[in-house]
Order: sequence, then structure tokens, then C-alpha cells
Amino acid sequence: MRILGIESSCDETALAIVEGRGERTKLVRSLVASQVAIHKKYGGVVPEVAARSHAEALPAMLDELLGKTRSRTFDAVAVTAGPGLITSLRVGVDAARALAFAWQKPLIAVNHIEGHIAANWLDSKILPQFPVLALVVSGGHTEIILVRDHGAYEMLGATRDDAAGEAFDKVAKILGLGYPGGPAVSKRAEAGNPIAIAFPRPMLASGDLDFSFSGLKTAVLQHVQNHGRRRVADICASFQAAAVDVLVKKTIIAARQVQPKTIVLAGGVAANTVLRTTLRLAVSQQLPGIQYIEPRLAYTTDNAGMIAAAGYYLSQKGRVSDWQTLEPNAQWEIGRDENRE
Amino acid sequence: MRTVTITGKKKPVVVTSFAQMERFASTLAKKMRGGEVLALSGTLGAGKTTFTQFFGKALGVKSRITSPTFTLMQVHRIQNAKREMRITDFVHIDAYRLRGAKSLVAIGALDYIGEPHAITVIEWAERVKKVLPEKTMWIRLEMVKSE
Repeated sequence: MRILGIESSCDETALAIVEGRGERTKLVRSLVASQVAIHKKYGGVVPEVAARSHAEALPAMLDELLGKTRSRTFDAVAVTAGPGLITSLRVGVDAARALAFAWQKPLIAVNHIEGHIAANWLDSKILPQFPVLALVVSGGHTEIILVRDHGAYEMLGATRDDAAGEAFDKVAKILGLGYPGGPAVSKRAEAGNPIAIAFPRPMLASGDLDFSFSGLKTAVLQHVQNHGRRRVADICASFQAAAVDVLVKKTIIAARQVQPKTIVLAGGVAANTVLRTTLRLAVSQQLPGIQYIEPRLAYTTDNAGMIAAAGYYLSQKGRVSDWQTLEPNAQWEIGRDENRE
Repeated sequence: MRTVTITGKKKPVVVTSFAQMERFASTLAKKMRGGEVLALSGTLGAGKTTFTQFFGKALGVKSRITSPTFTLMQVHRIQNAKREMRITDFVHIDAYRLRGAKSLVAIGALDYIGEPHAITVIEWAERVKKVLPEKTMWIRLEMVKSE
């Protein structure tokens, strides 16, 4: 079965075709057009411009992806219906609804975070054994989610203020490293000493599975105010170490509580090498017997392959949406499904 | 918490702990009648989100209030609001990533801003000054440098 995936929730317009067979999904083709350069030019996000860029990019990308075989290229349409920027989400959702109607194909609403989790199964040799515990880290999300089965989620913990990726971006801003800040901070951290500055490990002893990164960002700001922007590499490395430390330790705590069979890492910050390595080591040393999967680097950033993969597993469970009524939901929290059967 | 000064119309309030911030926010929340717009300005880390969390909680928001940097706007239902007030929504907008005041129109924020059923808090409000109503309550948070 072939699924056409459409993603337009944030800065990337993306299309993909994924082939699903049994429990396996394989990426056939993927296209991504980024708007980051446009937002850079404007010095921020202009929602109308973002929506228009998605709308301008989509038809040509569809043409390129589907070619002459058109509707015979796919059997169902999966689309990100939330969470995200409402104006941008609407472009993808409306395109998906139109395709589903015109070509009489099933329509599947996918939660963006569910897509990030499904990126772990895409082209993976290892298949998930449920229950799965997912650490989701991105610019807008920091969550620990228990996945009982494809499409069955329970949020165990989340950030109480800023997402981890947001803290990386804001630290980059404090240090004058530009946008997007996360990769810039990680790059500078490579030459720094992670134990040079003892930044706080917020919420480590909170007794629950929640996170808080606002205070960590403020601690970096305070350090810069008191000591200046000297030894930026050390600041980056120490900040990153503090953030990764909390993320990994909380995941281990969660795993001890819920005893998953698999632990996965998901979201844009899953591209961070220090986070990947630290979590991988922690799982193998402290939780023997639990398998660990991380997404391929290419699938960590926003793409439509992950949306199509999630859509495939949902379609196998009959979790389809109605093209006549599907609406994007900017605040769609994973596990709360109003959009689909 | 660091020491923060909060400046509205009156002279600055000095806040030195989370408990004081919470008290300040809940005192302000009690004065709300519906339709108010609070515009927060201040540097990174000054406590805008912390204030917003305490303020929303005092208004009766039960859901988690986090920084809506990516979705730009988050609408929280207010439960157990005083019935005669008919305040049903707490609207949290973060203009940090936003460019241009008109952008608020595109995300549908004008359905809420100033409407009697909603209380709106806007972080980084100086970025979208133009479209805010005249009666907007401006609040500036500033970190006091430690000695």
C-alpha cells in the first residue's frame, strides 16, 4: 500500500510517498522545500507569507512527485492536521482533502508529533515492540509519551514552560549565534568544556516526568551578564550538557516506571549528537533488555515521509478521517483525537 | 528566582520570589472583568511566561500554560469562571517569532483580543503594537542585575 504524505505545519513544505507492507514502511520518494530563508529575510514569521509559500510550493511539488501516473501513484492521503501554525496547517489539510475527494482515496489525519515518533520505524530494520516510550524533543515540544500501540498515546510528562529546542534557540540569541539557534549552539559546544559551568538541572528531583527549560535559559543569561560572552564554546557545551542530562535522566526514570519494551527518540532535536549518544549509552547501561531506536538523521527534521508512515499504520487500524469535515487543529494534543475515527 | 520589577501605569513593583510573582499575578487576575488585553514587554528571561502562567492559573485555567512560540497563539478554556462574567477563554499569544502586527489578524487573534469572553496576554507585545486596542494594559518586566 502506498501513502502520499503532506506536511505543512511549520517552516517546511513536504511531500512524500511511503510504501507500507505488514509492519514495515519504506520511503519511496521525499520532497522538502524550506521557508527558513524567507523568514530570515523578514526577521520573523509572517503567517500570511508562510501560508502563501506553502500554497505556492505545493502544486509544483505534487506535479514532480506524482508525475504522469498521477492518482495511481498512491492509495491513501495522510496529512498533518496539527499541532502547528493554523494558517500553514490549513494549506496542507485543504490540499489533502481535495485530493482525497477528487481521486476517491481514504484521508488520514496525522498528529505532527505522532509523525516524529513514526520516523523511527521508517526504513528501520528494527520493528517496534510495544509498549514504546518516546522522548520527543523539538522546537515546540518536550514530551515523554507512552505509545501502547500505533495510534494509542499517553502523555506522561511535558515541559511546563519552554521546549528544549526553544531554549537552544534562545541561548543562541543570548550568545549572538543567529537563527536557527539549536544547531549553532551544538556546533560551538563541540569545542567547549561541558563541565566548565555548573548550570542547573531543572526539575530533576521534581518527582514527576515534567520538564522546565525557562530557568536554564535564564541561568545562561545571568552567566553572560556577570561574566560576559567570553568562552562561548564552554557556555554552549555546559548548557547543552545540562539540557541533555535532564532529558536523558527523566527518560530513564519514566522507563523504570512504565517498563517499556522499546525506547525511541523523536523530534528535530533528535539530530543532536550529544543527546543521541547519551541516551543510547544510558539505555544500554542502565536498562538492559530494552531496545533503543533512533530515527535516521534525515528523518529528524520536518518531512512528509514520517507523516505518510504514521498514516500507513493508522490506516491499517481503520483510523481514517472524512474529507468533508476534516479541519486543522493548531493545538491538537497527541492522544486526544477529535479529528478521526 | 531573580529580582524582577514590574511596571504598569503605577510605580514599579519589585518581585523577588515566585510566591510574590504569584501574588502579584493573582491580585491582577481578580480585577479582570472580560475583554482585557495585557501586553507584556521585557527582555529574554525577565519572567513573562512565569507571570502568564500564574495569571492564567489565577483566572481558572486548568490546562498547562506553556510558551506558544511555534503555534503563536494558545487558547485555554477557563473553568469555573464567575458565571456573571462569562469569561470563557484565556488567550496566550507569543509574538517572539512573529513579524508585523498584521500577522495577528492572520492567526485569528482578533476573534479574541478585546472580546468580552476573553482575557488576552501577549508576550513580546512591542512587536505587534499597532493592532492592539487603545485600552491595552502595558506591563514591563525587567530583571534587576545582581550585584
